[in-house]
Amino acid sequence: MQGQEVALERLGMRFGEFTAVEPTDLTIKAGEFFSILGPSGCGKTTILRMVSGFQSPSEGRVLIGGQDMTALPPNKRPTALIFQTLALFPLMTIWENVAFGLEAQGVPKARRRKRAEELLDLVALGGQEDKRPSQLSGGQRQRVAVARALAVEPAVLLLDEPLSALDLKLRQHMRAELKTIQRRTGVTFIYITHDQGEALAMSDRVAVMRAGRVEQVGPTEEIYNRPATSFAATFVGENNLFRGRTAGAEGGLVEVETPFGLLRGQNADSLGSGEEAMLFIRPERLAPARPEHDLRLRAQVERADLEGPFFNLHLRAGDQRILLQLPNEGATPPEGEMELGFSSRDARVLRAGALAHG
Amino acid sequence: MGEMARFYGRFLTGLILALVAFWFLALILMPQISMIQRAFHYEARDGAAAQAVLEANRLQQRVATMNFDIRALEREVAAGVSGAAPAAPSPSNPFAGLPSPGAPRPGLPTPGLTPSPGGASAEAPEARLERLRAERDGLTETIAESRATAQRLRAEEAAAQGWSLRNFTLMSPLHWRIFGLTLVYALCVTALSFLVCYPIAYAAAQAKTPRRTALLLLALTIPYALNELLRIFAWTMILANQGLLNHALDALGIIDLSQGGAIRWLASNGSVFLVMVYTYMLFMVFPIYGSLETLDRNQIEAARDLGASSWRIHWRVALPHARPGVAVGAIMTFMLAVGSLSVPQLVGPGLHPDWFSQIVNRNFFESNSWNVGSAQALLLLVSCTIFIFLVMRVFRVGIREIAR
Ligand SMILES: Nc1ncnc2c1ncn2[C@@H]1O[C@H](COP(=O)(O)OP(=O)(O)OP(=O)(O)O)[C@@H](O)[C@H]1O
Ligand SMILES: [Mg+2]
Repeated sequence: MQGQEVALERLGMRFGEFTAVEPTDLTIKAGEFFSILGPSGCGKTTILRMVSGFQSPSEGRVLIGGQDMTALPPNKRPTALIFQTLALFPLMTIWENVAFGLEAQGVPKARRRKRAEELLDLVALGGQEDKRPSQLSGGQRQRVAVARALAVEPAVLLLDEPLSALDLKLRQHMRAELKTIQRRTGVTFIYITHDQGEALAMSDRVAVMRAGRVEQVGPTEEIYNRPATSFAATFVGENNLFRGRTAGAEGGLVEVETPFGLLRGQNADSLGSGEEAMLFIRPERLAPARPEHDLRLRAQVERADLEGPFFNLHLRAGDQRILLQLPNEGATPPEGEMELGFSSRDARVLRAGALAHG
Repeated sequence: MGEMARFYGRFLTGLILALVAFWFLALILMPQISMIQRAFHYEARDGAAAQAVLEANRLQQRVATMNFDIRALEREVAAGVSGAAPAAPSPSNPFAGLPSPGAPRPGLPTPGLTPSPGGASAEAPEARLERLRAERDGLTETIAESRATAQRLRAEEAAAQGWSLRNFTLMSPLHWRIFGLTLVYALCVTALSFLVCYPIAYAAAQAKTPRRTALLLLALTIPYALNELLRIFAWTMILANQGLLNHALDALGIIDLSQGGAIRWLASNGSVFLVMVYTYMLFMVFPIYGSLETLDRNQIEAARDLGASSWRIHWRVALPHARPGVAVGAIMTFMLAVGSLSVPQLVGPGLHPDWFSQIVNRNFFESNSWNVGSAQALLLLVSCTIFIFLVMRVFRVGIREIAR
């Protein structure tokens, strides 16, 4: 098994008047764990169905390993799709499920069985061959679906929110499993999710989508640390947002006139002065004011939630809500009014735009 | 039951229970028991014993008339009147002088001897008396014999009457053959119906849009707004010798109707099968549709994605999923086909041999042999039950799997 590169060229999909996916250019490298992250209904499944061949695009092309696959049916493409619902065959045993692709290829039974056992070992399900899907747990079924897809030796594995049905603990466990399987097989994984934690934890690179359009593509740390749009900044991880108007830019930084006075941050969109802007600062970059902080705020502590290694401190300054992550160092969290500070290098100023929630 | 009373109120609950009881007792249990009872109850009709008794009674009557004649003759002889004068018509036969209204029944000696009006020269009264006496004695003997036979036969019949298997054992080999053939035919209809209905049900269940499903199912249901007999009759109009089909073939130049080249479609088992499949189609389509509808379309896509051909997808994914529906459809179609009267009656007049249902019908409503008819109906019931169990057995694996 060897992963292959997937390239989307101006790939778009319209259902009548409605544009589900705007023409998109995207290249997914061979052997990469690539995630497409976006809220429900943004067109993720549509992209995946176009790559797998279940949906023919209304425009553009799909290339896999450099070859144009746009006109080929699903069974002629070197892809395997893992469905949102898994779609295991309930009346077949586990090994028959896994070997179904081989059965379709006409591989004799003994060889099929042997291969199924190997694959089940790979996904840590050895010994469960003769059970039925309904006798397995959710996570085990998940892995059967992976093994079944891998059995046809695809170059590209397409996964459509395969973990969404699992509970949190299992989901975290399966993240690691999937990652391991991907490493071991070298197959290109295109993984769809609306869970930003999942995307960050597993992927090499992530595409953030909103309403049929890819807003940002990049390695996970770039997506988290340097979001390109206000949507990406609010959809991936928590962020504190200060709205305002730019006052002046110099040396990669830009000043924003906010109700809390003049704040400063990285000028990611090269804004000039007098433009509507949003300044984002991550909760973990905020702290009780320290000398090295060049920006300060006063706010009232409303609530402190213990998250284990840290406190989530909910503060309020006028209409503005502020979230601050305070490391749990054994002391009781502060109460009443407090002074916060952050460094302008950690803040990010983006052009005002859509937000992920409200 | 208490729960039901709380839910529906006392009156409604009572009504429901009464209706259920009526339904079960009057519409299921009683007819069924009556049928079974009749089936195992032999009833001699027009039996030899009854015939013998009838014959003896008739002879007895003749002896009585003879006695009358003999007594009259005896008086005549005693009075010393020699038979010269033609006597008035014998009192035993007031119509003797009239021309007989019909030919005398052959084999039956005319009761009494009609003295022919012109037969004055006939035998002497003494001789006649002699002859009559001898004849009477012979008859009396015959009567005694007849009665004895009747008694014996009646005893035999009485022994056979009542609980016995004679309704079955007396069924002719031809009827047994028809019974077997009908079962085979019904199986054929069921299989054909499955072949026709599975693709339709699949198309309806997996149609791209709900609108298309609705249209398909509507199109299937509309013919059922028609009375069943009309539905069948429509086919006879198509298949008749001068029907649509032959006219279409004629128009295409395949046959020549004017030369009497009509193809005889009706009265063939093929037509009966065709019409039955059409008539009972819904009973196969809907159960299959119902089970296929619950098939996750992703399963089909997953199978296709893994490289399976359409054939394999049906064989390995769709059909196993539809098994309960197929079982229900097969059972219903089989029972309807085995018991169908109207289709063979309307489509196959002159068809030889008849379907078993026609024979049952004839026994019930034409020859009035309810007991024989019951026995035959019971045979059908038993074969349907066996079929149900067979189907359940064949498909049970599937049902168990689904339950799992
Ligand atoms: N066959 C179709 N006809 C019309 N509209 C469609 C069709 N398939 C998808 N859409 C629309 O396209 C949009 C994108 O759908 P898609 O299934 O790709 O969303 P998604 O990102 O996968 O969402 P989710 O996270 O909920 O699965 C949705 O608004 C959906 O209503
Ligand atoms: Mg989706």
